[in-house]
Amino acid sequence: MPPAQPVVELQDVSKSYAEGDAVREVLANVRITLHAGEFIVLLGRSGSGKSTLLNLISGIDLPSRGTVRVDGRELVTLSEHERTLLRRERIGFIFQAFNLLPTLTVEENILLPLELTGRDGLDSRNRVRELLDTVGLGNRAASFPDRLSGGEQQRVAVARALAHTPPLLLADEPTGNLDEQTGRKVLDLLEGLTRREKACALIVTHDPGLVARADRVLSLEAGRLVEREARA
Amino acid sequence: MRGRGLVIGVTVVLVGLAAGAAYVTRDTSPPLENAPTMKVSEALGGASGAEGYTRALEPREFHFPEDHGPHPGFHTEWWYWTGNLTTADGHEFGYQFTLFRSALAPGEAERASAWGTRHIYMGHLALSDITGGRFHATERFSREAMDLAGARNGPFRVWLEDWSAEAIGDGVLPLRLTARSGNVSLSLELEAGKPPVLQGDRGLSQKGPQKGNASYYYSLTRMPTRGQVTVDGRAYEVTGRSWMDREWGTSALGQELVGWDWFALQLSDGGELMYYQLRRHDGTADAFSAGTLVPSEGAPVHLSRQDIRLEVADTWTSPHSGVAYPARWKLSVPSRGLTLDITPALADQELPVSVRYWEGAVRFSGTHAGQPVQGRGYVELTGYGDTPVRGR
Amino acid sequence: MKQRLLIRSSLRHLGSHPWLTALSLLGIALGVAVVVSIDLANASAMRAFERSTDTVAGRATHQLVGGPSGLPESVYRDLRLQPGAPVSAPVVEGHVRARSGDQRILTVLGVDPFAEAPFRSFVPRGGGRVDMGAFLTEPGAALMTGRTARALNVKAGDPLQVAMEGVVKPLRVVALLQSGDENRAQAMEGLVLTDISTAQEVLGQVGRLSRIDLKLPDGEAGEARLASLRPLLPEGVEVIRPHTRGNAVEQMTRAFRTNLTALSLLALVVGTFLIYNTMTFSVVQRREQLGRLRAVGITRRELFALVLGEAAVLGMVGTVAGLLLGVVLGRGLMELVTRTLNDLYLVVSVRSLSLESFTLVKGVLLGLGATLAAAMLPAWEAARSAPAVTLRRSMLEDVSRNRAPRLALLGLVILALGVGLLSLPTPELLPAYAGLFSVLLGASLLVPWLTAKLAGLAAGPLGRPFGLLGRMAARGVTSNLSRTAVALAALMVAVATTVGVGLMVTSFRGTVADWLESSLEADVYVSPPALVTRRGGATFAPGLAEQVRATPGVASSSTLRTVQVRVDGVPTDVRAVDFGATPVRPYRFKEGDPARVWKELEAPDAVLVSEPLAFHRRLGVGGTVELATDQGPRRFRVVGVYFDYGSDTGTVLMLRSTYLLHFQDARVSGVALYAEPGQDVDALVARVRERAGTGQALGIQSNRALRQLSLEVFDRTFTITHVLRLLAVGVAFIGVLSALMALQLERARELAVLRATGLTPRQLWGLVSLQTGLLGLLAGLFSLPLGVALAYVLVHVINQRSFGWTLQLLVSGDVLTQAMVLALAAAALAGLYPSWKMSRANPALALREE
Repeated sequence: MPPAQPVVELQDVSKSYAEGDAVREVLANVRITLHAGEFIVLLGRSGSGKSTLLNLISGIDLPSRGTVRVDGRELVTLSEHERTLLRRERIGFIFQAFNLLPTLTVEENILLPLELTGRDGLDSRNRVRELLDTVGLGNRAASFPDRLSGGEQQRVAVARALAHTPPLLLADEPTGNLDEQTGRKVLDLLEGLTRREKACALIVTHDPGLVARADRVLSLEAGRLVEREARA
Repeated sequence: MRGRGLVIGVTVVLVGLAAGAAYVTRDTSPPLENAPTMKVSEALGGASGAEGYTRALEPREFHFPEDHGPHPGFHTEWWYWTGNLTTADGHEFGYQFTLFRSALAPGEAERASAWGTRHIYMGHLALSDITGGRFHATERFSREAMDLAGARNGPFRVWLEDWSAEAIGDGVLPLRLTARSGNVSLSLELEAGKPPVLQGDRGLSQKGPQKGNASYYYSLTRMPTRGQVTVDGRAYEVTGRSWMDREWGTSALGQELVGWDWFALQLSDGGELMYYQLRRHDGTADAFSAGTLVPSEGAPVHLSRQDIRLEVADTWTSPHSGVAYPARWKLSVPSRGLTLDITPALADQELPVSVRYWEGAVRFSGTHAGQPVQGRGYVELTGYGDTPVRGR
Repeated sequence: MKQRLLIRSSLRHLGSHPWLTALSLLGIALGVAVVVSIDLANASAMRAFERSTDTVAGRATHQLVGGPSGLPESVYRDLRLQPGAPVSAPVVEGHVRARSGDQRILTVLGVDPFAEAPFRSFVPRGGGRVDMGAFLTEPGAALMTGRTARALNVKAGDPLQVAMEGVVKPLRVVALLQSGDENRAQAMEGLVLTDISTAQEVLGQVGRLSRIDLKLPDGEAGEARLASLRPLLPEGVEVIRPHTRGNAVEQMTRAFRTNLTALSLLALVVGTFLIYNTMTFSVVQRREQLGRLRAVGITRRELFALVLGEAAVLGMVGTVAGLLLGVVLGRGLMELVTRTLNDLYLVVSVRSLSLESFTLVKGVLLGLGATLAAAMLPAWEAARSAPAVTLRRSMLEDVSRNRAPRLALLGLVILALGVGLLSLPTPELLPAYAGLFSVLLGASLLVPWLTAKLAGLAAGPLGRPFGLLGRMAARGVTSNLSRTAVALAALMVAVATTVGVGLMVTSFRGTVADWLESSLEADVYVSPPALVTRRGGATFAPGLAEQVRATPGVASSSTLRTVQVRVDGVPTDVRAVDFGATPVRPYRFKEGDPARVWKELEAPDAVLVSEPLAFHRRLGVGGTVELATDQGPRRFRVVGVYFDYGSDTGTVLMLRSTYLLHFQDARVSGVALYAEPGQDVDALVARVRERAGTGQALGIQSNRALRQLSLEVFDRTFTITHVLRLLAVGVAFIGVLSALMALQLERARELAVLRATGLTPRQLWGLVSLQTGLLGLLAGLFSLPLGVALAYVLVHVINQRSFGWTLQLLVSGDVLTQAMVLALAAAALAGLYPSWKMSRANPALALREE
């Protein structure tokens, strides 16, 4: 495969917050490049800056120093509005708390990113159907999220995150609220789908069990990013 | 589905409110009917009954000048002037100036308000600009109250607002006619000319077989006239002759009659002819049609229906009303050797007033006792529209 | 349709809180309804008046008018007999009361049919024949529309009795008129058309005309005609334009109508606060959800639009409901407005609501505008949501608590601005209203800070009797400050409005009662029945006043003549008073020395003016007014300004001797009798009644009865204000209810946790009640000072500038108590449903609910 343009590129990224008079550096000189088709696991303890890193990559937050490029576009140079649109079109999100919209049905939740990116035709509906079948919830399309179990909800969240075929998938502790077995199932799906869609997935977790699946393993330690050797 | 209850509830409330709003703003008026406008001329519609009024039952003695003045005991009364006028340079005019008094109820009003009255006046003013080819006519009404309209003797005056006929001196004659309306005005002095001619039987003009279906009627047939006529701001000094008809009575036209044709002709040989032909529904002349021939010298001769032959030689259809009027006549009095060919001086002399009629200046020529004769006069044609005329 | 799903999500959000949504809809609907209904009622009354004026004015371009008793009829004759007289028609017009059917007031229009055609076209009904003979010659012959005849219970040919100033006059309906279209039918409601002779006789105007209608050509030709006409007119006859009359009425009733509109707007302001409350709630409640949406890539603009869109849906539905409700309500208010107008200003018969599209459009704009304006801030808040993945609620509350002092500071600034606006030395109303609303806004910005402080203070006292629950209740208020403060502000404004209006009315009434006390000093008052209660003006039949004054037992008496005269061109009530032998001068002066005024008033060109007149016309002692007397316009000197709460348009007072000098009118409209010492007043009343006979129905009242009657009229004229206040109370109640209910429902999860940890339903109910009760109490407490301030502004600024009256502010305990009861009752009620729902719900389900 020819080396494609990196999906995410962080150069010397630092992020610090002011806390009273003190300045706390959450990330320091992070440098990393992520490519399409990579399934990447990011390990780290609570408070190690994982969420901050995700926020920086998704353009929710801006770095104190350094540059963040997503799809070749330098986030700092983009306006709030442009960053939101970039997020909408190029990034899929999976949250620890599932974060489905309670006022939309399962099917509608998955359709939402498609609709937002202007794809709400018949093709989209078929894709939603197909995704639902893939995550094994074909018979729950019309249910509202609060009728689903946690695992089911997270499966929907996975489908939603990938519905509009984003080149980048960000997942923040996707199995954090699930028991081990359910979590594994969700991860299976996540991995399968990501690979099928040839997306780049960055999964934040503290579950070392995931390491086995990853193409690359990163870990954050006191704000510094370390890449471990992944198993071949 | 969530919120269905809300949607239903809101819908029910909205429908309920809409019904309430429709209820409070509903149209409670009854359906509209067709109705014509209130017409003041209805007040002139003739006596509903002769009761309480003085009637023309038999010949009476006429006293002049008193009889020029009002006779309030009768239902209806009018002062009627027509005439043909010419300027020094030959511009020809015809005029008609009429004041009608009509009672609404017998007796006199006894009211606190000075506006209370039982008599109303109607006035017609028409000017035929013969040379100019135009005809002007107006109608007005008023009540006999507040000095707005009325008639009196000593000195003589009959008026309707600023239209008036009044004695120039202490008596009645000569008198001055003053009237103006819009772009037309009239200011004429009329002399007596010949003495009054009593029409019919010593002034009692019978209009039908019933007793009392008659009026008192006299005429001044040849009144030398001069004065001023103004049309569109241009004043004309004119001279000519007028004809005055005075009639009062308490009677309506018989049911069998539709109208009348009235001729007032001033002959070049110094005589005059008056003839009214009462028309029946079938168009034939009623037996009570009558006339008077006033010779240049000597006593007037009463003419009855049998003495006169009248043929219509042409008709004219009004572009305003679509009504067809006779427009040329052959009139002859065989017993007097009089044959006249009469033509309107102007075709359109139709008065567009509340009761439409044609009244206009005419010209005529013919022979009288073997001598050629011609002259001018006035003709009135009523009852040709769809509304039959009651009164006169 | 990129946002279809989002919109659907929004609608579902509204739908999943049906009670809250319904209550906010009701809030908007009521606010809009009150404004629309008042506007419709006002507009209908004005339209009805305009139509009837137009009907009687017809196509006249000018009118000749005279002094208070009209003009001599000879003016018409002289005009008419002029060569080339202008197109003109005489008119005699007046009002009588029907004595059959619904006893309504009828306008008698006396015309000369022969002069009418150019001015008015009346169409008879049924065959098209009016018996003109009867109409002209029969005394009392009258025409009217079929609708009017039905209301009077008469048919064509029937006799009809009417009362003119208490004297019965017989009429006969000779025929019915065809009204043509609906507009004309309404315009001709209550119109009785007669010949001019009948009108003169029935209205007692023999020899006089009310006016002469003229039709002059437009432009220069007309002006030239007018110029040539003027020299012919006798003294005291003036040429006016017919719309002058409509303008005068418009002006006369403007203050009244403006005040109603302002009060109705107050209801809308309260409604707006409620909308603000609802929208803020729905935003605060969905904070996390909104954050998620931001994370997923919904732009700020889209979120802003989303929240505004929700508001627009609510606004639309609420506004439609409000319009419909407004129409229904308007029909009812129309009667009240009409009655008040008839009591205070003029004779107008309003029989149907005229749905002015302008009013409806205004209603839509106000409803939608208010909703959107109220949603602006919440929408902005929503758009500002950080697209954070994990957002803690307590953080938000911290922000809101930290913001409280700054908001309070801003509130103080706005308050100061409002006070500044209110104390601007201008007679304009707009700055006053702006000031009023600034005070409301400023006060509501103070609420978060005050709430935090007070609820903190309350934790202690509540903790003692109620233990942990009490402390929790108090803490709940502060820990949820972002929601409670908004709710409290809305409640405070709502309740304060009812307090303000309530206090204004009581102050008004108190002032009037005081004034009546001091100005009614005679023992018995006699007057013929007037058509406009407060204005009087009906006159005694000839000789009757003298007879009444000579009743045995009367020590002395004074008389009053009230007439409408054009004062500086504006029709104004002029009172000519003859004090007779009585030394009593029941007037209090704002300007002028009471010791000297009465002496000065004896000059033939001296008058007094009432406070409102002085205010409206910017008059004071030393100023002059021009009265259209029977001898033409004359200038009079103002020698004093007296207090008078009888007329908001103002009156001019002169001595009868002065009046008789300038007006050919020796009639009397009222007589005040002073009893001889020891004379029993009730016996005197009976004696006067006996002497007066039955020819004219006279109102004969003892001092006490008249005072009571006056207050009744006062109360009647304030009925509509009371209704408005009640509506505002309704809106406020709904506000308290919905705000507090929302607060509790929103805490469902927290409460479920409490339930799960072992709180019994009873304890839960106690907690919820304590908290809503605390909020209700706070709202009530906050509303009291604001309400009093509002009342102060209404009484001393708004009323003063609208009507020119000096009123004393009266803080009535009743009104304050009512406000507290309102707040607490609504609060108690608001706690019921949420605690009932929570105690019934399975805590597990609630916990799972997001």
